[in-house]
Amino acid sequence: MRNQLSALTSDSRITIAGREITALSREKTIVLALAIQLFIAAFSSFLVVGLTSLYDPSAEGGEIAVGISGDEREKLARVAAETEGVDPTVYESRAAALSEFDNRNLNAVLHTRTVQTDRGTRIAVDVEVPADSLETTLIIVRVRELLLEFERQERRFRAESLEFSPVDMPDEQENTDDFTQYFNFTYTILLPLLLFLPPFISGSVVVDSVTEEIERGTLELLRVAPVSLTEIVDGKAIGMILIAPLQAILWLALLWLNGIAIANAGLLLLLVTAVATLTVAIGLFLGLVTGTRQKAQLLYSTLVLLLFGAAAVLPEHPASTAALLAVDSPTTLTVGHVAGLAVVAVIGFAAVRQYVDGLDPESL
Amino acid sequence: MNPRKLLRIARWEVQKNAGGLDRRTVAITVAVIVLFGAVSPLIASGGAGLEEDIYRVSVDEDSQYYGVAADDPKFRIVDGGEQALRDGEIELLIDGSAIRIADTRKGSAAFSEFRDSIQAYNNEQLAMESNQTAAFPIQVTVEFREQSAPGRDNGSSTGGETTDGSDGTDGGTTDGSDGSDGDGTDSGTGDGTDGGTSGGTDGGDGTSDGSAVGSATPPLGDDEISGSPADINPPFPFQSLVLAFVFVIPLNFLIQAYGSTMLSERLNRRGELLLVSPVSRLDIIGGKTLPYFAGAIAVEGVIAAALYYIAQGGFGGAISLFAITPIVLLFLSATFLGAMFARSFKELTFITVTITVVLTSYAFVPAIFTDSGPVALISPLTLVVRELQGEALSLSAVAFSTLPPFLTAGLFFGLGSGLYREEDLFDQRSITGKVLDALAVPISRPYHVGIMTIVLIPFVFVSQLLAIALVFPIARGSPEIGQVLILIVVAVVEEFAKSLHIYAAHSHNTFERTRRVAVVLGIASGIGFFLGEKIALLGQLVGLSELDLARQALQGGNVPEGPVVVLFLFAPLALHVVTATISSVGALGKRRRYLAAVAAAIVVHLVYNLTVVNVVA
Repeated sequence: MRNQLSALTSDSRITIAGREITALSREKTIVLALAIQLFIAAFSSFLVVGLTSLYDPSAEGGEIAVGISGDEREKLARVAAETEGVDPTVYESRAAALSEFDNRNLNAVLHTRTVQTDRGTRIAVDVEVPADSLETTLIIVRVRELLLEFERQERRFRAESLEFSPVDMPDEQENTDDFTQYFNFTYTILLPLLLFLPPFISGSVVVDSVTEEIERGTLELLRVAPVSLTEIVDGKAIGMILIAPLQAILWLALLWLNGIAIANAGLLLLLVTAVATLTVAIGLFLGLVTGTRQKAQLLYSTLVLLLFGAAAVLPEHPASTAALLAVDSPTTLTVGHVAGLAVVAVIGFAAVRQYVDGLDPESL
Repeated sequence: MNPRKLLRIARWEVQKNAGGLDRRTVAITVAVIVLFGAVSPLIASGGAGLEEDIYRVSVDEDSQYYGVAADDPKFRIVDGGEQALRDGEIELLIDGSAIRIADTRKGSAAFSEFRDSIQAYNNEQLAMESNQTAAFPIQVTVEFREQSAPGRDNGSSTGGETTDGSDGTDGGTTDGSDGSDGDGTDSGTGDGTDGGTSGGTDGGDGTSDGSAVGSATPPLGDDEISGSPADINPPFPFQSLVLAFVFVIPLNFLIQAYGSTMLSERLNRRGELLLVSPVSRLDIIGGKTLPYFAGAIAVEGVIAAALYYIAQGGFGGAISLFAITPIVLLFLSATFLGAMFARSFKELTFITVTITVVLTSYAFVPAIFTDSGPVALISPLTLVVRELQGEALSLSAVAFSTLPPFLTAGLFFGLGSGLYREEDLFDQRSITGKVLDALAVPISRPYHVGIMTIVLIPFVFVSQLLAIALVFPIARGSPEIGQVLILIVVAVVEEFAKSLHIYAAHSHNTFERTRRVAVVLGIASGIGFFLGEKIALLGQLVGLSELDLARQALQGGNVPEGPVVVLFLFAPLALHVVTATISSVGALGKRRRYLAAVAAAIVVHLVYNLTVVNVVA
């Protein structure tokens, strides 16, 4: 046992793995890789935070001024008076309200009309909102809230004509922090993105590393070195597989520092390692089979994307597995998926090693 | 450049380029993509899949909320009582009609999602009612209307439209915005006769546009939305997102191949054979790039025509293709430059990924802000969106969107081709060394420094535009932070653009390292920047300068009227000359001294800008 251990530490594979990683840091590409991932994370968070700030009524203070006119104006105005963020004014005519709107004294005009249908009356509301205003989104969100409440009331009046009685809407929770609305996004999109990007890049780097040796002809130096092709390949693979969970740790720590609780970190890292092992095995195989970067990279990126998409046939997509683990809602199925992926990764990598064993270095 | 030689190299590139793609690889790739297309419905069907089961709720089967939780895949129904709620094993505990929420963020998020689910569940159940009038008693139509005080110059524009309509050709294709525009002014100016008809066509167009593009949310901006209150969603830039992906994804595969072929010329001195042959390097670069450019344009052309056909039902898409061309060129030129800089395949991969990420955000981020015209126009994709919606595009809008990326692509190709020579191609120098090389090669006389500064301006402009788009949402929240952020970006980018090539020239010992020379170079660079900066006037074409943020970024503050105007005209010149000279003197020394000097110049620039902004405000 001890012999095996010391054999492992002095192993040429470890040396090669170390050299691969040092090469990355010397070229500063690892810095670039981290910077890119940070940018993507910031970019997607920016998208969501930016977009939700456009939509979120509570994000911006101030009420919107609404002009109400038409047949049912009094009824709608009563609802509006009770709705937050809306400041209603009743107008006798639509034209009067619209002229105030055109003078920019109103943010929206709601004109009500009763419409006869064969099953009773319906209230039609014609809403005018500014066409070219940054606040339009917010105005629509608030108008929507108002009209939804109006609809709930009207449904209550007509309850006897309905077979289904609508489920009661509970009141909104008070004192929620801003994070609530980003909660879904953070766990189901941002986190899987950050966790699966490093394995994808690792596989891509392995493709480069292998094809560059082949294209530059440096693999021929093997014949004079006391290492086998399998050892070299192992070394390249170990380095690139390990670097993926290391990056994942970094992202998890970053999220944690931002106050985002991450559960099941150990299983998440196992998941990342398994996925990285798979992508690296694919990258190795394609690099050795094609021998040129152009072919191998093209095949690698299409194949990995296909696999990622095709993983939807699993009962649970790996991205979903990551989300469920991190948000602390895992089921036995979730844990089973991690184990399954780990097994597949080990088998896949073993198969590629088997292939390398049978390769003649001179044929490359 | 000799077209015949260029075409011959292009033919070689297609037939048997060094690390080329053979038919088998292409066939496999195509097969994989086709397979991907085959499984994509499956992926789409699992749409909510990512959010599946993330919240756990305990609810009795006889509760009114049971159906809500059972119908929404986001919720998983589990057994559990108060203890489970406290232990964090469930997020919502529904007891009769009372909903108890776990005291965590997850609990709050679950509850807020649950409210949405109730809304959706109710509407779903009510849609099956026989009495739809009682089920959906409110019918809403939202129209987007130009807000303007009566008597503004919209009157003349209405006149213009009327004559357009009488031409007979334009009438049918007038889009929603024009229609509502006319509508608005008509009622505003009291011309009641037209109001009804133009309103009517407006509505008709709106619905046809909506169905043509085939999305539940209305296309950007000006259409109307109608339905029950729950159907009223604010316009979401969903299309820009889809478009960005449809147009940009093929480019990512393309630049992989293009980068490989350019870099493989540099491996084992393979490119030497072409270099010593009697062709110019521009022939080589042009010839090797042409197939990829042509391929990209062909693919994007097909996409543009297909999208136009889907959206408008006719043949078109020429403007879309024209708008995509600078993006294609930007991708190719940045990759070319990257392949000249990279030392290894690994490095190239990272550079390629960086290019992809940055350029995708350049194409996509501005297009999000569809309700703010000028900012959206920073991205050429906005032109595509507008053409697909059948909106009219002004020449100035096209120029503003496409000219800066065109010029930047030219700059990248220019810098890269400076490196396409033996001593750089087969040399393993660091990226910084290569960047300095690229900048120093064209400079041999002091006035070249000024010209180089001018040449770098499109890049400066494009970076500032991207910064404006990125800072825009922050500036909406708090204008002060947005302002300071944008001014910092401006100062940093501009100061480096004015001095990096001076430092590069010194590192090549192009000029004597004396104070006098440093001052001359600084002045040349400052004047060059002052002249070149006038490209920012492009921003005025589309009214971007009406945006405070953009004005500060592009012009360094407002320019007041009156006698001080002369001062304000020359103050920027003085600023650029002074800061460029500071950096230029610093560039005489080693890297650390240069960086310190640039930092000083940045501070001066920042102080100046903040002063101008505050004084004028």
